[in-house]
Amino acid sequence: MIKQSLAIMKRELFYMWRDKGMRNIMLFGPLLGLLLFAGVYSYQRVGDIPTAIVDLDHSSASRQVVMGLENAKDLKVVAYPETYDELEKLIHKGDAIVGIVIPENYGKDVDLRRQTKIAVMIDGTNMAYATNATTAVLTVTRTLGAEAGIKTLIAQGIEPDQAKEAYQSIEFREEAWFNPTLNYAYFLVLAFALNMWQQFSTLASCMNVVGEKGFGSWIQIKASGISRLKLFFNKSLVHIFVIMLIVLPIYFFAFVVFKLPLASSWSMLLLFTFAFAVALHSLGTLMSSIFSNAINASRFGMVVALPSFVISGFTWPLEAMPQWFQPIAWILPQTWFFQGINYLSFKNPGWEFISHYLLILGLMAVLFYSLAALAARLREKAFR
Amino acid sequence: MEPIIRVDHLVQKMGRKTFLNDLSFEVMPGECFGVFGTRGTGKTTLVHILAGVDRFTSGEVEILGTNIRKSEKYKRDLGLLTQERSLFLDMSVYENLDFIAALKNAPRKNIEEMIERFELRELLKEPITVLDTIGTYQRLALACALVNQPKLLIVDEVIKDIDLYSRRLIIKELKQYLADGGTLVCAFSNIAMSHYMTRVGWLENMKMIIYTSETALAEWKKQEELYTE
Amino acid sequence: MRQILNIAHYEIAHILRDKILLLIVFIVPLFYAVLFGIIYIAGTLQHVPLGIVDLDHSVESREIVSTFENTPNFKVIPEVNDYAGLEAGMKNGAIRAGVVIPEDYSQKLSQHQLTEILTVYDGSNMIYGLNSRKYLQQVLNTFSAGQTAAYLGGLGMTKKEITNVMDTVSFSMQVWYNPTFSYTTFIFMGLVVMILHQVGFMSISLTVTREKEQNSWIQFVSTAVPSWKIFVGKAIPYFIANFFNYGLLLWFSARFIDVKIGGSVALILLLGLLFNIIIVSLGFVISLYAPNSLQITRYLMIMSVPLFVISGYTWPSTHIPEVLNKIAQSMPYTWMANGFRLVTLKDWGFADMSMTLAVLAGMAVLTSFFALTFSKCRKPLVQTGLVVNETTSYPRKR
Repeated sequence: MIKQSLAIMKRELFYMWRDKGMRNIMLFGPLLGLLLFAGVYSYQRVGDIPTAIVDLDHSSASRQVVMGLENAKDLKVVAYPETYDELEKLIHKGDAIVGIVIPENYGKDVDLRRQTKIAVMIDGTNMAYATNATTAVLTVTRTLGAEAGIKTLIAQGIEPDQAKEAYQSIEFREEAWFNPTLNYAYFLVLAFALNMWQQFSTLASCMNVVGEKGFGSWIQIKASGISRLKLFFNKSLVHIFVIMLIVLPIYFFAFVVFKLPLASSWSMLLLFTFAFAVALHSLGTLMSSIFSNAINASRFGMVVALPSFVISGFTWPLEAMPQWFQPIAWILPQTWFFQGINYLSFKNPGWEFISHYLLILGLMAVLFYSLAALAARLREKAFR
Repeated sequence: MEPIIRVDHLVQKMGRKTFLNDLSFEVMPGECFGVFGTRGTGKTTLVHILAGVDRFTSGEVEILGTNIRKSEKYKRDLGLLTQERSLFLDMSVYENLDFIAALKNAPRKNIEEMIERFELRELLKEPITVLDTIGTYQRLALACALVNQPKLLIVDEVIKDIDLYSRRLIIKELKQYLADGGTLVCAFSNIAMSHYMTRVGWLENMKMIIYTSETALAEWKKQEELYTE
Repeated sequence: MRQILNIAHYEIAHILRDKILLLIVFIVPLFYAVLFGIIYIAGTLQHVPLGIVDLDHSVESREIVSTFENTPNFKVIPEVNDYAGLEAGMKNGAIRAGVVIPEDYSQKLSQHQLTEILTVYDGSNMIYGLNSRKYLQQVLNTFSAGQTAAYLGGLGMTKKEITNVMDTVSFSMQVWYNPTFSYTTFIFMGLVVMILHQVGFMSISLTVTREKEQNSWIQFVSTAVPSWKIFVGKAIPYFIANFFNYGLLLWFSARFIDVKIGGSVALILLLGLLFNIIIVSLGFVISLYAPNSLQITRYLMIMSVPLFVISGYTWPSTHIPEVLNKIAQSMPYTWMANGFRLVTLKDWGFADMSMTLAVLAGMAVLTSFFALTFSKCRKPLVQTGLVVNETTSYPRKR
């Protein structure tokens, strides 16, 4: 009996290997993907936001503001255009993201305690830039505003200590937890690589049933009298084994070579990944038993797999999606996986939290495999 | 008289395997030239080269006076019936005729003529996937091949395994085609067919030996006896 | 002309008969657009769950709490009221940001001593992280201005005097092109272009492989119909369908998802036209040389994520290594997605877009050249070693 199982498994492994397209994807895809994403996000933060300053005043006071901006965190002054029009052009062309205009007579106005206004423009097209730029500007303007205010107060004859106190009695300290430097690479590199991995795995598991029944050799298997349960169980074992095998280098490179954060233990991570691999494979098997040819099975497997990352709320949060849509998002195993991976890599949420996820993924696997068996049954009946 | 087909030192290799090695022959106008061989001897390979479907490794092939590597002008006067089914599976009988006629730039009236000659009238709306016998399929395939009134017709295993009614019809039409002055190249694997042929090119071991129809039959008998011993 | 129209006619007939292809060409693009539309409909991240740990419980600390309660950016979660609760909430995702007010806050404030308020936010999701950080800064800026005003009032200054002092230097901040910081405006059209890209390729790239698999490609090859007619005939239906989808999705996005689509209509059409030509001809070329439909389907599908990430559409290309930018620049998606954004958001004109248009036009010329002049002769199929799903057959019930 064991011999029969081993024969099936060996044959399945050869099948996957000899399917050259699948082999290339499985062998090189995940690592190429990971390297690519690591390359894209190698700067890790959106710092050095190109900034242009128009100093219409050229006074010592305005130069002080310029200096303040030059030293501001995350801003990088790249141009000092002469006029507002030039600045507008720079932002329009995308050469500068932040534009700052210091008005004429700025120094004089400050000396005479007349009100003056510094204009700040931020290009909102790219949010990765825009949010960072806004925060940077907010921080620097608070400081600059305070400095100016203190000066004014002192000039009005108020004690320097009191003047300072008026502006700086409360200090604000900020802490970014779990990802203290707000590192994009930590956030996205692994997630994108795993997103590709789940797509490859979907493609592989979409071959489970149709890859067998779609060939003339299916007659041999039918004639041999082997039980379908046994056949597909053994095939699935091999698939899941391969799926797990190709995730290992991703994890190795991500956590060991690129040193991305992993808050939980390796065993927890692998157990969780395994549960997802089974659930995902069950979904692919369902696809491959519904459709009568490999292309359609692959297509519809991918119809689910492709947008699943966006649906999972890994980037744009689930809570920001419409209320009624959220339960739908949780139907996909991918949502559980990407949410779980986020917790495991950053937060180590503990066994109690993850066991809930494992349970759901397990139940999904049972459901999808049963549906797959049912669908296969129905199809065969229809053909008879 | 100019030959219709002139093949000169034709070699076809795919990967490491050689299928045709240094073939040279000519087919004259009005001839019915048979290409004979058992399965896997390269009949279809040769047919695909002559019809300009596949590239070939080396040598020269001239059909209707054009070097087939340089121009595909000769395809206007070519008809092809393949061994493997090659009609459009997603279309009906009529649509196949209509579409292939359009590809060949053949006048529409030819379609009607073909429908009559191959007795396809009743089947026009049928999808070709449900044609009940291979005989009807072959009748349609031949109709499509002849729709442009080709000067050269190449057929590959046209009447193998088909019902007797269609067989009779097809043979009648092929004879008519020859009588009208057409040239026919016919690949076959049943030696009994060779009495229809003017000459038979026998493919074996990547080479071709040319026989008359009688000597081809005699050669087959001789070999048969050789192996029974 | 008759030949081209005939080929086009039967390609349309095929699309209509192949239910799944029909679905892909006409339903899937809209389906995805609706799906992503639903996901990003909110546009901005609001009501970030916030935990406030008020260790002081004074009138002054209540003020901070109410400042946070009064902004739509945050939703204060009342269950969190001590530091341990804050930590636990941050860990299990119940809250995404937190504020800690020290126990001696009001005391120090009254004694004019320096006191410190701690703000924390969740960096494990960057959208939460960056927005919370920005929102926290905004609230604190307002709050500290209030504090200053109160302090100066305590010194006996009048309201007018206080405003005078505080507004000596003021900052006006404008956000251009996307003033509401809408994520929809930011990312949605990039996804839409990706949908059009993928669906465009998916549909046309099977047109030749399909014929090869059914062996009917021989009918094209063995007749004298020139290559360019085959391409044009087969491409027309897809070209029209792609353009229809382009218009449909743009209309849908502008009408229902509230995406800002401005700029020159002529440019939008021109971009669509060039992009469409590239997709149709490149898809056709892929179809000519790919081994079979299954492999195309697989490879095309998995391209979408890398293409999107590398294009610089989200993560700015200024922060991507040059090598990768070079690769990205050889992809039509990069030019189309970024070009589309520049036209629709920043109202770039023809002069600004000359580079993008030149590159896309170059790609269009190049790809259509290969599509128009392909060699009809097949390379004879070679069976090399043990392989499956590599030749024109793949698993399917017949």
